[in-house]
Amino acid sequence: MNAAKRIARRGLRASRRVLRRAVGRAYTRWRRSIQVRVVTSTLVISAVVVAILGAFLQQQISAALMESKIKAAMLQLDEGLGRVQRDLGGPSSDDDGRLDSVVNALKARSGPSGLYEIYIRDAKNPYYDGFATNELRQESVPQRLREELRRGPSGARVYTFGKLSYIGRDREPGLIVGGKTGQFELYYLFPLTQEERTLTRVAWSLLAVGAVLVLLLAAIASLVTRQVVIPVRLAAQGAQRLAAGRLEERMRVRGEDDLARLATSFNEMAANLQEKIGELENLSQVQRQFVSDVSHELRTPLTTIRIAADMIYEHRDTFDPAVARSAELLQSQLERFESLLTDLLEISRYDAGAATLDAESLDMRDLVLRAVGDIQGLAERTGSKVVLQLPGEPCMAEVDRRRVERILRNLLVNAVEHGEGEDIVVTVAADRDAVAVAVRDHGVGLKPGESQMVFDRFWRADPARARTTGGTGLGLAISKEDAQLHGGWLQAWGEPGKGSQFRLSLPRVAGAELRGSPLPLVPPGVRDSRAVFAELEAGE
Amino acid sequence: MIGTARVRAVLAAAVTLLMTAGCATVPTGGRVVSGQPADRSEQVDDSYVRLVPVRPRPEWGPAQIVSGFLSASASFDDDQKVAREYVSPSAGWRPGLRPAVAVFQDRDEPVLVKESGAQATVRVEGDQLGTIGPDGQYTADPKHLEVTFQLAKTPQGVWRITELPTEVRGGLLLTKADVERAFRTVNLYYFGPDGRTLVPNAVFLPLANRQDLPTRLVQALLVGPTSWLAPAVRSAFPPGTRLRGGVTISKDVAVVDLTGQARSGSLERMSAQLSWTLRQLSEVKHFKLQIEGETVTPEGVGSVQSVRAWAGNAPDGESSEQGSVPQSAYLIGAAGHLSRLAGDVPQPIVTGTAGRLVHPAVAPDHQEVAGLSPDSGEVLVGTLVAGSTDIRPILTRRDPKARFTAPSFDRNGMLWTVESTKDGSTLWVRPRGRAPVRAAHWGLGGRQVLALRVARDGVRVAAIVKMDRRAQVHIGRIVHRPDGGVEVGSFLPVSSELQDAIDLAWRDYGTLAVLGRAKSDSQPLPYLVPVSGGAISSLGVGALGLPQTIAAAPKSPVLVGTRSSHQRRVCRQRSYRDQFSEWVCAIPGSDPTYAQ
Repeated sequence: MNAAKRIARRGLRASRRVLRRAVGRAYTRWRRSIQVRVVTSTLVISAVVVAILGAFLQQQISAALMESKIKAAMLQLDEGLGRVQRDLGGPSSDDDGRLDSVVNALKARSGPSGLYEIYIRDAKNPYYDGFATNELRQESVPQRLREELRRGPSGARVYTFGKLSYIGRDREPGLIVGGKTGQFELYYLFPLTQEERTLTRVAWSLLAVGAVLVLLLAAIASLVTRQVVIPVRLAAQGAQRLAAGRLEERMRVRGEDDLARLATSFNEMAANLQEKIGELENLSQVQRQFVSDVSHELRTPLTTIRIAADMIYEHRDTFDPAVARSAELLQSQLERFESLLTDLLEISRYDAGAATLDAESLDMRDLVLRAVGDIQGLAERTGSKVVLQLPGEPCMAEVDRRRVERILRNLLVNAVEHGEGEDIVVTVAADRDAVAVAVRDHGVGLKPGESQMVFDRFWRADPARARTTGGTGLGLAISKEDAQLHGGWLQAWGEPGKGSQFRLSLPRVAGAELRGSPLPLVPPGVRDSRAVFAELEAGE
Repeated sequence: MIGTARVRAVLAAAVTLLMTAGCATVPTGGRVVSGQPADRSEQVDDSYVRLVPVRPRPEWGPAQIVSGFLSASASFDDDQKVAREYVSPSAGWRPGLRPAVAVFQDRDEPVLVKESGAQATVRVEGDQLGTIGPDGQYTADPKHLEVTFQLAKTPQGVWRITELPTEVRGGLLLTKADVERAFRTVNLYYFGPDGRTLVPNAVFLPLANRQDLPTRLVQALLVGPTSWLAPAVRSAFPPGTRLRGGVTISKDVAVVDLTGQARSGSLERMSAQLSWTLRQLSEVKHFKLQIEGETVTPEGVGSVQSVRAWAGNAPDGESSEQGSVPQSAYLIGAAGHLSRLAGDVPQPIVTGTAGRLVHPAVAPDHQEVAGLSPDSGEVLVGTLVAGSTDIRPILTRRDPKARFTAPSFDRNGMLWTVESTKDGSTLWVRPRGRAPVRAAHWGLGGRQVLALRVARDGVRVAAIVKMDRRAQVHIGRIVHRPDGGVEVGSFLPVSSELQDAIDLAWRDYGTLAVLGRAKSDSQPLPYLVPVSGGAISSLGVGALGLPQTIAAAPKSPVLVGTRSSHQRRVCRQRSYRDQFSEWVCAIPGSDPTYAQ
């Protein structure tokens, strides 16, 4: 019992699931395909129109049939009444034999086809209720018709529709007409089975024709939309391919209709786009070349200047204090200029696509420790303390040592710079596929939207802020390029007043695709607050 | 240029389409379609009229109650439910499906004889014509009838019939009109003494419901022949055989399911009886015989038998059912010789003066010929061999005023003739090769008989009897006694419409061709008279002269011997299949006859 119920319930659930899935799929198709929408609406609208038309037609045919039937019945009744009047209208002798013979004569005209039955009654004879033909029962003449005829004047004619009942046979619909002449009431009862059959046949034909018509319309709609939709779909595919960068993609132009014009316009657009993009590419190529050339060209004079400046700097003690101060200034600015030039060269290498990965298997903890060691002095100067959270086991990954070190140094220097003397937390974590390093500071943080802009070239959080460590403004941009070269991500999070965090995520195997990071981008503890961050994935 | 051509083509197509659409209404022309000939139409298929009874009204007095009862009892609907409301249940009146009926010619209004408190007596007077027995047999019994009904007031204060007259206890009291309206005559078929030929037995069945008729017909067949025919025929159904349920008909196949007693009967003979009985219903084309729900298959036919099977048991003999070739007729040629009719030309068979005879009869095997001497005083018999003059008297009248009726052979070659005077008659029977003997019993012994013909089934006999100065057609039946004697009796009048019948012949098993006068005729004319008592119909149109004799056979033209201005001619219809075709009197001769 229970088992059966369970099975039933399971079956119900399964079928509901199937149904839901089917509905879902249908809805999806409905949303995605113009063709489905057009065909469905054509089906629905034409079905409604055909149904209305069919009902109207059926009603018209039925009315026409009944009208002619009533007309014929009335004529028959007139003739019958005439006969009754002629045969029985004379001086009344209550001879039921005569009544009987009149009915027989009247009925004989109906013939064997059974066109009608007759019921005649003599209102004056109390002992019997008239005569009926064949199996017709007296109840076939409805009481309302009798009443109407009784109230009417002599010669009145009435008719109604009703059910004819018979002895030993089923009831059938019928038309009943009645007339009165003298004391005699004469009723003709016409079975409408033939008419009913005709109407049923007409109804079936209408139904069949309607169904065929609706299907035909749907097929036409399907065909027409197909002719329109296929070129549109081709155009959509072309646009997609174009967007994916295949600028040589073109549509085929056939004929000279609207769709052909669409294809032509599309092709023109694609051609223009290709041309413009080509120009822009050329232009940026020239620019990059220029930057690279300038950097290179600047290097040689800079070396000479550097040697001269070093000499001057070494002899600064021999100058008067004002000149010595200038020599120091020259020295520091030269260093800055040199590093700027290095960064420029580096970034131009990236722009030129000349950067290559020199990967080796390294423990990320070592790299972090070394980077932290390098900036320890700077941190002490600002009063920040670097807190390390390293895992117990090695975090091995195939990375380019120089680039990762540069990233880490950049992040740490950034954190010290904006850390406002607060603690800097460096976390390392690893999972099966990736390793990650997060650098958290508790400085001013980032405003909404800035977490993306930090990676822009020469971007500054506050242009008025003094540059104490003399960053070039290219560090984070280069770091991002470095991370991307590994196939990893470099992301930033920050909130005003809550500090910021930078997370570097790298795949363990160079070139593998990164699916997730072992560390959260938003540091734990601020998760519950209104997190405004950008999930900026380096891969995209 | 191409554009205009295309437009023109489209226009032409549209016009054609419109024109065909316009034609898609009622056809107004076309080829002539020939239809199937209409199905045979039987008498039972005619529409019928039913009386609609009224229930007794509370205010009616005793006489009115009796009037209402008499009217209502003519309605057979729902087992006479309405009529039974007039009768107090204590009277136990339940006429059933086949009641006995006293038939009135005319009935006076009921008269209240006595009314005392809650009791009343009502008298009904009328002229009775006859009675219909519970077996459906009509017996003429004209008499003045006076019946009384006892009525009592019920506690509810309405009058009800408590005692019915003895004449209608368990039966009905109907007028002739009621019977004509509510009853139909149908034939039941039973085997004659030869065990091969079926004999129709006409019975009156109340037709309450056309749908029930097949069931009622088979039930009546199983009950057995009426008292009139019972001594002469046998039923193949073993006694006690009943119908299980009703006869069901689907797609013109009737299923007749009999009780187990039928197992001891002959399937073939039962099927033959059923087949001939059921073929009167146009809705039955085939039937299936079942015994206790199990379909049985008689030898020679399938399990689904056609009602047209069993031609060998035809009442008119097997040959009557096969083919439609008219039988060869004989007549007395203009020169007074027995001749065979070839086309319209008589070919003399017997020549010479010794061969002179009138009213010839030819045996069914064409071996023997019989006739009367020209003064009808002698019966002559001879062998029918070409050129033979071997004709000799076998019977001579004893009373000079007596006359012999035209002799007639039955199917076994027996010769029948009646010697009749104005106030008595004797039936003579002569088996072939033997001397004629008187019939052991002759039912018309005290009457003058003008003609006598034995039916082809050998059981029924038709005679013209002078009764109350009117020559009427009667039907009797022949019973062969085990000792070889023959009883002929139980004569019943067939039709009261014909007067002064002068000659008759069996057209087929259900119809007589009679020369007689209907009410408006000035001279005898040929009529077709159904044996069952239905309406007579006239035969042919046109001048006939003065008809004298008539001859008929199944599927053969009716021949009438006439005389006009001393010329004797034999007339036949131009087209004998058409009942109303013209008479043609082109054959010189007289006294036509058929061998069968």
